[in-house]
Amino acid sequence: MAVNYDPALINKTFEITEPVEVKADKIKRYCAALGETNPIYTDEEAAKKGPYGGIVAPPSFAVTFRNGRHFFDNVPRFGLRGFDAGKDVEFVAPIRPGDQVTLSSHVKEIYEKTGRTGTMVFVVIRSTLKNQNDQVLAHIDHRFMNRP
Amino acid sequence: MSTILDLHTHSEASEDSRAPVEAYLNWIKLRQAERPVDGIVLTEHRQFNRDADYRHLEDKFGTLVLRASEVETNYGHMLVFGVNDDMVARFDFADVRLDAQTLIDEVARMGGIVVPCHPGRPNIGLYEHYQSRPPLENVVAVEALNGGSRKGEDERSAELIAKYGFAATGGSDSHLVSLIGLCATKFSAYIKTIDDLVRELKTGNYEPVDFRPRRKTVPHAVAMESR
Amino acid sequence: MNSFEEINIGDTLGPLELFVSKDQCRAYARTMGMGEGAGRFTDDEAARKEGLPGMIIPGNMSLGLLSKLVTDWIGSSNAWLTRMNTTYRVPVQPDHTVTIHGFITNKNPEERTTEIDVWMENEESERLVTGTATVEFRK
Repeated sequence: MAVNYDPALINKTFEITEPVEVKADKIKRYCAALGETNPIYTDEEAAKKGPYGGIVAPPSFAVTFRNGRHFFDNVPRFGLRGFDAGKDVEFVAPIRPGDQVTLSSHVKEIYEKTGRTGTMVFVVIRSTLKNQNDQVLAHIDHRFMNRP
Repeated sequence: MSTILDLHTHSEASEDSRAPVEAYLNWIKLRQAERPVDGIVLTEHRQFNRDADYRHLEDKFGTLVLRASEVETNYGHMLVFGVNDDMVARFDFADVRLDAQTLIDEVARMGGIVVPCHPGRPNIGLYEHYQSRPPLENVVAVEALNGGSRKGEDERSAELIAKYGFAATGGSDSHLVSLIGLCATKFSAYIKTIDDLVRELKTGNYEPVDFRPRRKTVPHAVAMESR
Repeated sequence: MNSFEEINIGDTLGPLELFVSKDQCRAYARTMGMGEGAGRFTDDEAARKEGLPGMIIPGNMSLGLLSKLVTDWIGSSNAWLTRMNTTYRVPVQPDHTVTIHGFITNKNPEERTTEIDVWMENEESERLVTGTATVEFRK
């Protein structure tokens, strides 16, 4: 018995989100929350001499773009509870303060497996982050796990 | 002459691993002193890759690479050794609700053997199912040591093995290159092919071996830098 | 950090031992504006209602900490973390010590990339979050 879902869902792009501006303060708070001390993310003067010519966000900042209800309204739900099961992120270009980031996403894959907590349906959503120059910043495969 | 094989491994062919087979073999070579395994058995999730050919890597590293499968049943996850065309035609390996007893009996009839893995693990191991349902028949061996076990899981497996008198295997269940060979199975026979392995698994003449490092004591933890 | 040529398969990153407090976990959740489902990241009682042992650290925070092991290693060089793949195997509870390990497992001289295994384990040596990272050594 396989998972029941509408095959038309696969590879269909959701509505592309409105741009979200990356605030310098948000990067600063993100760094603080992770205990980040690398000067290329935290120190404007030092970062100017670094490989990116100014402060950039730590690469993992790319996964923090939630863009409101973008996902939750579009991801098929197969159980009562949804959990974040993991992410596969390709970091293409650094995210800088002032970037206007848009997110476009589609369902990449739906499959079923069993684990310690029971039978789970995995929904893989692929999101592409772009900046105001249409430059790709990152591709993210979000693996959402649904279980009763 | 004995043979030590890691009977439970996942490579990049499994959806939840990125480990290339070549990197596994290279890591075994690098860590031969601590993890002296002679070969690995690829047990990709819910599939059997019939046409995969690792002979060039076996030659390059002098390490045996055999292929099996890890499937999902109503009694938990099970390793299927000696997969052939008849089995692939008979069972949908992607089905996560295979009937365990049918699988065990049919695979045996078709010349292979089924070994329930991580029996002490909640929901996907034999132990929990045996608390509420009749035991399966014709189980020869189960996996006693699993490199991915959480605390207490291998202990529950040991309890089950003692109670039912199963033969016991070991496997790393590695999904990462650096975790290959942490648990394995030592056979008293020389094993060179999948037919040798199936034959030996049926005899019960082997034992699990544990190459996991002992936990070092943590001196003190550094508090996360905060604002 | 070492140059690409000086890096060997088997080299280690870390280990990094961290004590992540409940307050730090809450601060992360708040900073990231986590709305829906945030109870499990900020409140023990809300987490227990969802069948969890208590508050857990957001998966993205774990991803951030694993990435940090790699970017600390890169330092201010122009090597670039090109990929991070994480699996959240077991919920990570705050107010515990976790250890983050990294091992160089592969090198590709043509692409000047290295593959790194990374994982976070608890005091019982249980691997809670596992992952692989790719770092490109740009010329």
